Amino acid sequence: MNRAKVGRLSRSTAYGILTACALAGGVRAQPSDSILLYQGPDREKRLLEGARKEGQVVIYSAMIVNQALRPLVDSFNKKYPGVRASYWRGDSEDIAAKLAAESRAKNLGVDVVEGTGVGELVIEANLVQPFFTPEITNVPENLRDPRHLWAPTRLSYFSIAYNTRLVPPDRVPKTFEDLLDPQWKGKMSWRIGSSSGTPLFITNLRMAWGEDKAMAYFRKLADQKIVNFGSGSARTLVDRVVAGEYPIALNIFAHHPLISAAKGAPVSSQLMDPVATTTATAAIPRGVRRPHAAMLLVDFIVSREGQEILSKADYFPVRADVDPKPELTSVVPTKAGVSPNLVLPEQLGKYGDSSEKIYQDLFR
Amino acid sequence: MSVEAQRAVAFSSPRRSLFAGLRRIPIGVLLLAFILCVLILPPAFFLIKVSFHVSNPDGTLGDLTLRHYSSLFTERFFLPSLINTIVYSLGTAVVALVFGISQALIVERTNAPGREWVFLGAIIALGIPNVLHVVSWLLLLGRAGPVNSALAATLGPDYVINVYSMWGMIVIEGMNFVPLVFLLMSAVLKSQDASFEEASMMSGGRPLRTFWSISIRMGMPGILALLLLVFIRAFESFEVPALVGLAGNINVLTTNIYQSTRGQGFPRYGEAGAYSVCLLVIVIGLIYLYNRLSRNAHKYQSITGKGYRPRVIDLGPMKWVGTSVLAFTFLLVTGLPIIILIFASLQPFYEGVSAGSFGRWTMENYALLRDASSFHDAIGNTLLMGAATATAVVPLTALCAWMAVRRAPGAWILDQLATAPLVFPAIVMSVAFLYVFVSLPIALYGTLLSVIIASTSRYLPYGMRYAYAGVLQIHRELEDASASSGARQLTTFFRIVVPLLAPALIGAWLFVFLLSVQAVSLPLLLVGPGSEIVAVTLFDLWQNGQVTELAAMGVVWIGLMTVVSSIFYYVTRRFQIS
Repeated sequence: MNRAKVGRLSRSTAYGILTACALAGGVRAQPSDSILLYQGPDREKRLLEGARKEGQVVIYSAMIVNQALRPLVDSFNKKYPGVRASYWRGDSEDIAAKLAAESRAKNLGVDVVEGTGVGELVIEANLVQPFFTPEITNVPENLRDPRHLWAPTRLSYFSIAYNTRLVPPDRVPKTFEDLLDPQWKGKMSWRIGSSSGTPLFITNLRMAWGEDKAMAYFRKLADQKIVNFGSGSARTLVDRVVAGEYPIALNIFAHHPLISAAKGAPVSSQLMDPVATTTATAAIPRGVRRPHAAMLLVDFIVSREGQEILSKADYFPVRADVDPKPELTSVVPTKAGVSPNLVLPEQLGKYGDSSEKIYQDLFR
Repeated sequence: MSVEAQRAVAFSSPRRSLFAGLRRIPIGVLLLAFILCVLILPPAFFLIKVSFHVSNPDGTLGDLTLRHYSSLFTERFFLPSLINTIVYSLGTAVVALVFGISQALIVERTNAPGREWVFLGAIIALGIPNVLHVVSWLLLLGRAGPVNSALAATLGPDYVINVYSMWGMIVIEGMNFVPLVFLLMSAVLKSQDASFEEASMMSGGRPLRTFWSISIRMGMPGILALLLLVFIRAFESFEVPALVGLAGNINVLTTNIYQSTRGQGFPRYGEAGAYSVCLLVIVIGLIYLYNRLSRNAHKYQSITGKGYRPRVIDLGPMKWVGTSVLAFTFLLVTGLPIIILIFASLQPFYEGVSAGSFGRWTMENYALLRDASSFHDAIGNTLLMGAATATAVVPLTALCAWMAVRRAPGAWILDQLATAPLVFPAIVMSVAFLYVFVSLPIALYGTLLSVIIASTSRYLPYGMRYAYAGVLQIHRELEDASASSGARQLTTFFRIVVPLLAPALIGAWLFVFLLSVQAVSLPLLLVGPGSEIVAVTLFDLWQNGQVTELAAMGVVWIGLMTVVSSIFYYVTRRFQIS
């Protein structure tokens, strides 16, 4: 049996007994939401004290382990020696499934969940609770959740990728209309089976253009016979473009082609107005076991220090005072002169099912 | 008529009640059935439950419904997908059986030089994780791959092949199963008396004719079981249909379900569950059929009280033909996929095999691995998990198979139970076990032990098929002799059956080990922080990494698996000899 588990069990038993004693004595136990929303001047001190008593914190995240998640957790552990942070890495859907199972069994092992699709899933399932982090003031207004259910952690910009040997510079599609050119029929591919795949592509245009214009466009796009790339990530799809399997891939992470191109690969990305932009989010589950440590970890991820670690790992920071890697700035829409269209978790949720239906009806 | 058959007849009075029937079942069978139930019922219940309930948007289950079943059959792509699935599964089974059985015959029955290396080749191939296997074939046969470059250079650009097609799916999945078929088939042949083949050769039969009319026919129960196994596995497979089929717009049932359920929100397990339940019913039917077909299996039993010794057929100058067949199969199943992976792992990016690509080499992908601490941390956990799973599966299934083949009363249920997990999709199984472990009052959730229990359940069918094929070949007169000398049943099992079965059991252990260490979707949800395993890191790279990095990781992994299996193989062989 896992030693941490034994420790946690015995500790929670001890807490249970303590709580029972406190209730019997007429003293009310402090529920976790009061500390999560606490904004007093001694917030930091109270969090630190509480977190030390809690001793550890667990995050489920969709970040890349070796470049991002691990350095992040290591720095946190260095900064707060009394609290041991550990992680589990999974995709958004897996994180949500794990949290849902733990919540329902009242056997919560996780304190913070993080990912691009996670926010929308766990909010809809009513599995998370509001919190306040002072770091949010350094984040642009449009990236804040008025309900305080999530904090943004890293941004993603979506673009097309094209093979520079197969698509000469003068023929590179620059707008969504250009994708309707018959020369690309059967030559484009996109990723299905993930909410950041086809549903995001469709939702982005519906939000930006309105339903009528978007639908008219999708009907024309359906004639282009886009290849439905079924398994593997957006990164895998870019590698297929590098290998020349598909001249063009739609709706991939705009910075991936840049990383490959820096090694000499024949690939590049082209932003298209409006640029689908998403943010990954961190959230704290209802009934969290270690609220102080959870809060400390969320603070850290959104802090300047945390964001700099993520920026080094090729993610786009959410803070205005942390820059993305210089070699990646060319795909930041505002710097490239195109307009970003921020698709927030709740919008992905709201449009998701109907966007999925459009895919099913037109593109399968 | 055997003692047992006589007893069965003697006991069958019209007044026999169910209770009396139950009482006749030996305690061993009941005990084994109980263990199997503990392993299998949780995912089975979950599967059936989700298939009959509405999936809510928050992942909980709602009202009773038949919608998942009806939508399965009324879906507009159902019929073409069903036809595709049958063609694909049969094709895969035929490809795997033709290559695997030819290999096994040459290795076990002839003097073709170099045949002893085929085991190593098969074991290396088994160590290649499924996803990597598919990726390597796509690197080889894809539009930019070396095969198409060569074709275009010699025949012109019109003659390129399209791997994203039905034949592409069949070849890739078929090759994937060749090592399994080879290992199982050679276990069958090892324990099959070769004196019939000798007689045939002495009467002037040519090797091919001897193989066809003696070896194949005698091994028929085993071959049928293999056909069934590969067919079912292909029927529920997902990787090849998703990576190869979808890109060519060829839908099979699994990808059809994937497309209609996994777009948005919590994965909806209802339809996947309904599909598995239907598959389960079909499989139970097939196994029943198989059992009826092999009811006369004792006709095939050739390890009898007479000294038996599989002998080698001298092919004369033809032996080099045998060697070429082996080399060709090795190249297809093991050599080419690994060569292309090594090639890709040394490139900064993969753009096919061209003059340009030979000008740029890099060790950067391996350097990345050196720094991947998550990989190093996971190796110990992974080896422990694989070894524990194999050690749990093999003895359990050996006992089950023995009871089932000897037709102990009620033992047919053991075969059905142990085979059922074959059709549970790994992802549904992992969610089912997640719910079981997270709700248990004991703290199993998140531990390595929970992964071991789940993968024991998942790999039962493979152990079962191995052991079953082995036991079928052993004539019961040896056990009868043991019994009449006063040995108890368990003594007979350990002193007579196990030694005769050893080659099959060793193969089974290695096979289960190699399969369980590379499983991704099953352990993913069950492991907790700190108990990660290597395959999950591999998956991480598959999700986020570049294909060249994935190839480097794959090469290291295959190397590691080869070392582990070689040590195991060597040690067990030494052990057997002494």
